[in-house]
Amino acid sequence: MTTQPFPYLLLPTLWAIRNRARRREHGDGTRIAIFGSLAMVVGVAIFGIVFWLTWQLLDYAELGDYLIRLGLSWLFLTFLSFLAFSGVVTSLSTFFLSEDLRLLLAAPVSRERLFYSRFVKTVGQAGWMVVTFLVPVVMGVGLARCAGPSYYLTALLTLIPFVVIPVAVGSVITLILVNVFPARRARDILTLMGLLFAMAIVMMLRFLRPERLLRVESLPDIASFFSTLQSPVAPLLPSFWAGETLFASLQGGQDWLHAGSLWTTALALLVLARVAFGRYYFTGWSKAQEARKARFTQLRFLDALARALPGGPVGRHLFVKDLKVFLRDTTQWSQLLLLFALMLVYLYNFRVLDLDRIPYMSGVVKNTYAFVNLAMAAFVLSAVAVRFVFPSVSAEGQAFWIVRTSPVPMRAFLWSKFWTGLVPVLIIAEALTVASNHFLGAAPFLRVLGAVAVLFMTFALVGLATGMGAMYPRFNAENLTQVAGSYGGIGYMVLAVLFILVEVALLGWSSSIRLWHEYRGIPVPPAQVALMAALLLTAVVVAALTFWTAMQRGVRALEAMEA
Amino acid sequence: MIAVEALVKTYGSFTAVDGVSLSVEPGEIHGFLGPNGAGKTTTIRIIAGLLKPTSGRITINGHDLAQAPEAAKASLGFIPDRPFLYEKLTAREFLRFHGGLYGMAAAEAEERASEMLELFELARWQGELVESFSHGMKQRLVMCAAFLHRPRAVLVDEPMVGLDPRGARLIKDIFRLMSRKGVAILMSTHTLEVAQEMCDRISIILRGQIIARGTVDELLALAGGEDEQLTPVFLKLTGGSGLQEIEEVL
Repeated sequence: MTTQPFPYLLLPTLWAIRNRARRREHGDGTRIAIFGSLAMVVGVAIFGIVFWLTWQLLDYAELGDYLIRLGLSWLFLTFLSFLAFSGVVTSLSTFFLSEDLRLLLAAPVSRERLFYSRFVKTVGQAGWMVVTFLVPVVMGVGLARCAGPSYYLTALLTLIPFVVIPVAVGSVITLILVNVFPARRARDILTLMGLLFAMAIVMMLRFLRPERLLRVESLPDIASFFSTLQSPVAPLLPSFWAGETLFASLQGGQDWLHAGSLWTTALALLVLARVAFGRYYFTGWSKAQEARKARFTQLRFLDALARALPGGPVGRHLFVKDLKVFLRDTTQWSQLLLLFALMLVYLYNFRVLDLDRIPYMSGVVKNTYAFVNLAMAAFVLSAVAVRFVFPSVSAEGQAFWIVRTSPVPMRAFLWSKFWTGLVPVLIIAEALTVASNHFLGAAPFLRVLGAVAVLFMTFALVGLATGMGAMYPRFNAENLTQVAGSYGGIGYMVLAVLFILVEVALLGWSSSIRLWHEYRGIPVPPAQVALMAALLLTAVVVAALTFWTAMQRGVRALEAMEA
Repeated sequence: MIAVEALVKTYGSFTAVDGVSLSVEPGEIHGFLGPNGAGKTTTIRIIAGLLKPTSGRITINGHDLAQAPEAAKASLGFIPDRPFLYEKLTAREFLRFHGGLYGMAAAEAEERASEMLELFELARWQGELVESFSHGMKQRLVMCAAFLHRPRAVLVDEPMVGLDPRGARLIKDIFRLMSRKGVAILMSTHTLEVAQEMCDRISIILRGQIIARGTVDELLALAGGEDEQLTPVFLKLTGGSGLQEIEEVL
């Protein structure tokens, strides 16, 4: 019997990628073009900013060096926590929840080979984003400083242990968690923890009020500034070692101490993780196979609520089912926490916006901001709709046959999806617009217009999401995030952005006529009033058409479905 | 070939498998019957090395599964009830990978994959992605994989689900052929006609315990010898619903 080395176990992943590339599916080209262009733009932007900053810092000699050194340390420190968390979440999936483990564990594959292959997979999945981000950063710094090839080689040799260390720690944490909780419950806990972590970071960063740094009076004195620069950032963490190693090679030297620390720690942790997995992996895996006990809330209030709602029994039953499924799936509703945090930050921005500092122009700027705000609120709601409303038909998954074989018209089914999606999205959109316009101090006319405009724009965007979700369903998707990122989901986002731009242009044009006359204290002439009315009516008609066409086409697509 | 001694598996306070012992000799087809939730799949998954038993001992081809898992698994072929297949691989790629997992040399795996694909009538679709296969085709591909490395023992969980009559006939013929070559087969099934037609011995499990074991004739005799078919015997032994109760409900 020939024992294949551990990379053999990675072959199905590589073959699957190759086969997927060979046999393109509908919409692959568009997806690659859109995401490729976006990635390229982001990559070039990061490179450009880092290059420019490093170039500027050349003028500041020693201070510039300090700032680069500090910047690298902070950058690696940020990524270290991200990688550790990502390692925990990814290893739960790769080591315990992957479907192919049942095949591999039934085969004569040693625990050691399985561990190494899964670890490589975990490192790849947990670290690719950080590495992709770091490449333009490293290149930007290196090119601005005209670094030699040894700098790039050092960067590569630094990144490998830097990613391995937190992922190894994360994998061991997962191993402990799975041996304590059943894996499927552990996944819920981790998802929640992750989102709370992300939410806390977003809010913390915003509430630090970085804009204060731009005010001269808030700067610290020079002495304390330099003392801060000279004290290292967390010197016992691998992020510091990575930053120091890279910085030394940027200066043309080599920091063997920190490079050695990185590699020895990475190898030691790898060995430790292998031993721990050898000892406790099978027990954890076996626990992960146990069916989760049905611990859930009955959510009886939903039944009572549904009884109080207008509409037929079919719509009520679909509504109760959709809501119960949503609320019992932690991975679904927990993302709302992050959304909630982003909304708070969004509103907080308006709360602290100090437009009165701009003399004479604050009124005009505020009213212009009111339209920017309308567009932003609409973008937020389209993002919410693509994530939560667009996948609502696909969420039926393999159970869709139940609806299709029942005497429920597809029209009633899709309208139920629409109303279930509309109410929460409308509440979010109205709350955002009304509160932000209030904080902004926009003109009363614009506050009313914003509230009304968001009402019909929400109908249109939710209708568009529901209809397109029915036209481009993905019943086989592993999770609903995949549905949102599908060909149809991207198509929806493109149409939603176009719709928002058209609406904001029409509303902005009509409002500017009134505000221009109001500013000068003269009445609006009848011809201009007629133009304003026509523009507003056009905005309403565009929204109504968007909504109606999408829903009609969605119903037709469901009725014509054959598979 | 397969020996299970005093196997116990508990989930918290629930005992899914409660002291199960059985043995399957070379060349024997051993049926493993029981109602839903009786512990069949749990027992089979423990024997396959997918679940850790709470206590008990399993040996396959003389190798203790706990002490020498790789040697034990190398002698075993496993056909699960809900098999995992890499959907984006072709049938041949899947078999090639499977051969490598079981330590087969590349040339041998290729040759054997061709034989198996022919045998299970999948040669025409060997270059197609698994995702395009019907349920029956996937089931046959899993069987190709299970027999690819010439196992000495095979575990089968619900082999006939999703197979058309021709496919079912083919599988029965292959199982008989393999047993004649000395392969021990432990087969869990709900299709009692299949069990009656194919099995040399049958074990019936109920609430985690073996309640009856023997040849088909011995089981028929155990139930009083009034029936010629296994179905009524199975219902008597496992306490299935009577027709009267069904009529009352309807």
